[in-house]
Amino acid sequence: MTEAMAKEKATVKYDSQFTKKVYEMENGKWVKMCMQCGICPTTCALKEKMDLSPRRIIQLIRAGRKDEVLQANTMWLCTSCYACACRCPRGVPMMDVMHDLRHLAVENGINHNSQSMAEVYAKDVSKRGRIWEGGLTLNYGLKIGLGNFFKMALDMQDIGKNMMFHRRLTLLPPKGVKNPGKLREVLSRAAEIAKREGAH
Amino acid sequence: MKYTYYPGCSSEGTAISYHHSALEVAKILGLDIKEIDDWNCCGSTVTSSVIGQFAADVLAARNLALAEKMGQEDVVATCSSCYAILGSVNKKFADEKFKTNANDALGKDELSYSGGLNVRMLLDVMVSDVGLETIASKVVKPLKGLKVAGYVGCQTVRALREFDNWENPTFLDDITRTLGAEAVNFSHKLKCCTGAMALSSPDVTISAIYPILKSAHDAGADLIVTPCPLCQMNLDAYQIKVNKIYGTNYNIPVLFFTQLMAIAFGLDRKKAALDYCIVSPNNALAGFGA
Repeated sequence: MTEAMAKEKATVKYDSQFTKKVYEMENGKWVKMCMQCGICPTTCALKEKMDLSPRRIIQLIRAGRKDEVLQANTMWLCTSCYACACRCPRGVPMMDVMHDLRHLAVENGINHNSQSMAEVYAKDVSKRGRIWEGGLTLNYGLKIGLGNFFKMALDMQDIGKNMMFHRRLTLLPPKGVKNPGKLREVLSRAAEIAKREGAH
Repeated sequence: MKYTYYPGCSSEGTAISYHHSALEVAKILGLDIKEIDDWNCCGSTVTSSVIGQFAADVLAARNLALAEKMGQEDVVATCSSCYAILGSVNKKFADEKFKTNANDALGKDELSYSGGLNVRMLLDVMVSDVGLETIASKVVKPLKGLKVAGYVGCQTVRALREFDNWENPTFLDDITRTLGAEAVNFSHKLKCCTGAMALSSPDVTISAIYPILKSAHDAGADLIVTPCPLCQMNLDAYQIKVNKIYGTNYNIPVLFFTQLMAIAFGLDRKKAALDYCIVSPNNALAGFGA
């Protein structure tokens, strides 16, 4: 290791703007509430598969360690099972914080299959007001690219066939809300209000 | 007993058997439930990561505004995720600033919500409102000898913590026993099935549901019952993958608890919506005329 490399390794990049940005997000106030007790990683359903535990994520946000936080797979693996939120002595809704972090990661050019799924989902909601599960699968496939889609289709064909055979995936979308245009107006007004209130 | 019913998107597709069996069972129990007119998707737990927390909350709140117009105090959801979302947004209406802002947005669709409803889960309504005695009185085919693993899943009792015991829930097992079956004790009744991750990260889902199936199987369960659409779908549809990857030979039917109630109430297999099950429940239920 050269001296320069050693120096690089020893220097922690601290980005206070990042900390501030997370605090300003809609669930950012909860990050301040965490007392680092470690209950969340001990209850987390998928902690073993996470790069950083939920507790560590909070610690690194406070330390301004932007890259480590945003590049971790932690927020993508949060299933919103509420186990940590239940047991947290401060009542921090960690899954909501994780959702904010996903949002922030995408803003910084980092994406994940889970977010692609969420985006396809949200698009269907704003288009029709309700989800069409069959279409969701297709649109998700298109979003992750044709190559990945074919691989997924091949891997999952047994499951897909079973779902179709048992009439649990409809081939046509079920009806949506009567006036999806109005719903979109509601959502865009909500986005304006959130922005006015300081959320990102 | 009158309720406003929020079916949720899965009631029209992957969890259609829940929707049908719940309505059939409700009829027998004398529950008067009316679907919310023009309901929309609750947004589930993922939408906020795309459109932001507040917009996602308003999306869910639109249903509460519509439900309020229906005139009943209780909105009952069948899906655990819908219940979690609608319930937590409902709580936020206690905050005046949130309420004003949410109603500002809802005003674009000439809607507003006072915050006065209760959001309930069907499982809770069955045990707390209908009561086990009434359920027992409708049983015509006691499910004697049937071993049932009550898989509660994660959000059902944890999201709002307003019914049952969220560390050691009993409601689901209470119903099973009331129907005459045996509720087996298994270690994974509250473990997360990873929900919607089944499509975006199937490997994660498969490794999460294997121990759930294993613990139900090791406890000697003939079948699994659950109150959650995603739990049902993942355990039922992905069982084939678990068998392939872990070299197991599981063949455990996964039913909604309302389907089991339908069987015990003497309804036919069509009303119990059994044909939607991927792992066939025919063997497990053979002795009960289903």
